[in-house]
Amino acid sequence: MIKRIWFIFLRDMRINLRELMTIYMLAIPLILAVGINFLSPSINDTSVNLALVEGENQVQAAYFDDFAHVHLMADEQAVRGRVGARDDVLGVLAQENGYYILAQGNEPESVVEYARLLNVLYESDVQLEDARSEIIELGRTVPPLKKMLVNILLLLISMLAGMLISVNILEEKVDQTVAAINVTPTSRRAFILGKGITGMFVAVVSSIAVILITGFYNVNIGQAALVVLSVTMISLIIGFLQGLNSDDFMEAAGSVKLLFLPMAGSIAGYEFVKGNWQIFFYWSPFYWAYRANDMILAQSGTWLQLVIYVGIIMVICGVIYALMAPRVIKGLQ
Amino acid sequence: MKMWSSFKKELILASRGFYFYVELGFAIVILLVVLFAVPEDFSTTSTEYLFLDLPRQGQEAFKDVLLENDIDGKIEEVEIEAGGNIYTAQLMVSDEQEIYILDSEQAVRDLAYSERNLGAVVQLDEDNRLSYRYYLQGYESTRLKNLLSILFNESTLVLEERINNQEVKVLTAGFEPITDRENTIPPLVAFSGSLMGMFVMAAYIFLDKKEGVIEAYAVTPSSVWRYLLSKVFVLLLTTLVSGLIIVVPVMGFSINYGLLLLLLLATGFFSSALGLLIASFYDNMTKAFGVIYFLFFILMVPGIAYFIPGWDPFWVKIIPTYPMLQGFKEIILPKGDIIYPLLTSAGFLAGGLVVFALTNIRFKRTLRV
Repeated sequence: MIKRIWFIFLRDMRINLRELMTIYMLAIPLILAVGINFLSPSINDTSVNLALVEGENQVQAAYFDDFAHVHLMADEQAVRGRVGARDDVLGVLAQENGYYILAQGNEPESVVEYARLLNVLYESDVQLEDARSEIIELGRTVPPLKKMLVNILLLLISMLAGMLISVNILEEKVDQTVAAINVTPTSRRAFILGKGITGMFVAVVSSIAVILITGFYNVNIGQAALVVLSVTMISLIIGFLQGLNSDDFMEAAGSVKLLFLPMAGSIAGYEFVKGNWQIFFYWSPFYWAYRANDMILAQSGTWLQLVIYVGIIMVICGVIYALMAPRVIKGLQ
Repeated sequence: MKMWSSFKKELILASRGFYFYVELGFAIVILLVVLFAVPEDFSTTSTEYLFLDLPRQGQEAFKDVLLENDIDGKIEEVEIEAGGNIYTAQLMVSDEQEIYILDSEQAVRDLAYSERNLGAVVQLDEDNRLSYRYYLQGYESTRLKNLLSILFNESTLVLEERINNQEVKVLTAGFEPITDRENTIPPLVAFSGSLMGMFVMAAYIFLDKKEGVIEAYAVTPSSVWRYLLSKVFVLLLTTLVSGLIIVVPVMGFSINYGLLLLLLLATGFFSSALGLLIASFYDNMTKAFGVIYFLFFILMVPGIAYFIPGWDPFWVKIIPTYPMLQGFKEIILPKGDIIYPLLTSAGFLAGGLVVFALTNIRFKRTLRV
């Protein structure tokens, strides 16, 4: 049986490689990982944007540059134009007795407060050289937003793997070769596993590459692979359901969209819902996968915690499989 | 006339399929989530851990200042469990902050590390002035660290008074902000409605390619572009209905629906045409899907900028979803700009027409029988 599973896997890989499919599926997450590396420092350095008249007060411009992003404009009119543009930029303009802040009127209150504070600090001659506070850094270098984006990408990879499986099956269906399996020595189970291994392979390889590209060198790769495999189980089941029960690509596309909702909801639930309210997301395997990934990327959990999370994912997947197995078997007939 | 009958036929076919109902069901689910799970306004309280390394009198005075902003004006004795340890603390809660006062610097350091929040030790320097030792995670920006290092060089009371006297002039007075719940509408409509057209049109085309429908069209008197357009219209109708399902219950009748429909149609048309164009380069869904998936991720980046004030670099603004999101936001703002959504719609319509024309040329070339 293992030999037959292996043959199905090799055949799928050969077909997918011939059509550059697997390379696509492997390469796209990696390009996105590079994109996250590119985005992350820029987002982390987000501060208030201030527009000043160039040459009007160079000392002030240099002072603000230590605390905010400074845009130097040709004249007051240009500053007004910049402030009036769609993004949140505040002007600092001279008047008879000092400087005033020019806002468009729709900026968040915190942004205006920050600009006021900076100008007050400048006018009070509070200099960086006179700093009285000491800063001790606790050694973390990865900002939370980067961790979140990498975690989302890991879930998307698993979903992509599920789609790869479903599309592989769908193409077999369209070519009317699924039913032909029944008259070969290959059992249905071997067919399912063989088809699933391609997606799992893509998921595990891409995920590990993404983790390394984004600079999480110190995370436990074994733990990460375990979570990826467990999430791929979800994608595997869904991939099979989509592939076997969809008559066309439209239906498969619809199912993909349906799948995005629990995933996006689980991520939002984990990130934004506080305390006991998170209980409402416990049914979702994506919630547990996201939580487990978060723990791994933060290097803050134990193997026991991870085994519990993965166990929960497997139990949920088991229930889904038990409920859906008759449809999978029917689809194979 | 041919167009109309083609559209009617496509509509009947779509109504028999699964996808049409998935879209509508999906819109209803999103609506329920927005109405019942998304709060009217997100509370953004930050947590800080403090150790007051001050004489008793100084500690009391410091706590009194903090208590002025406390919601119930009382200090609460609490226990914090973290990293297998239990810490006793005094908690003060204001609208913006939860401040825990701990009984040692080590406790501050431990909690700042395990809970990933800001920690600080307040002490007196040699001139008997307050000075702070901050415990930061390490990934904070240099600009933020700079600010923290000088923030308390000047007395808080003096700073507060000067900040209150700092003049702020506004270009447009009377801006009425929208709630956080309303603020989630533009990304939902843009990503779930307008942009899905790209994915779905490609799926439509591969289905038809498999069944040979497009090739069959090439030998009929009807033109391929008319056939493609009838598909796009069905999709636009779906986008409109699902968009309205989400927007109407949340926004009521306070917004300009004419503008909303125009922008939904224009952006939906653009993304559908883009989906068609991508599909024209590939012979199966899987290959095209890789590109669409990648493109979708790029198109989502302005979604990050949408929720982070102050982060909108130039390259984000040239991604089509940036004006799309800003256009939808302008429509739902109480005194929003009318010109911007009109210009955005015109831009997407023009862009969509160009892409559609290119697609038509490609289909004519590749589907010749």
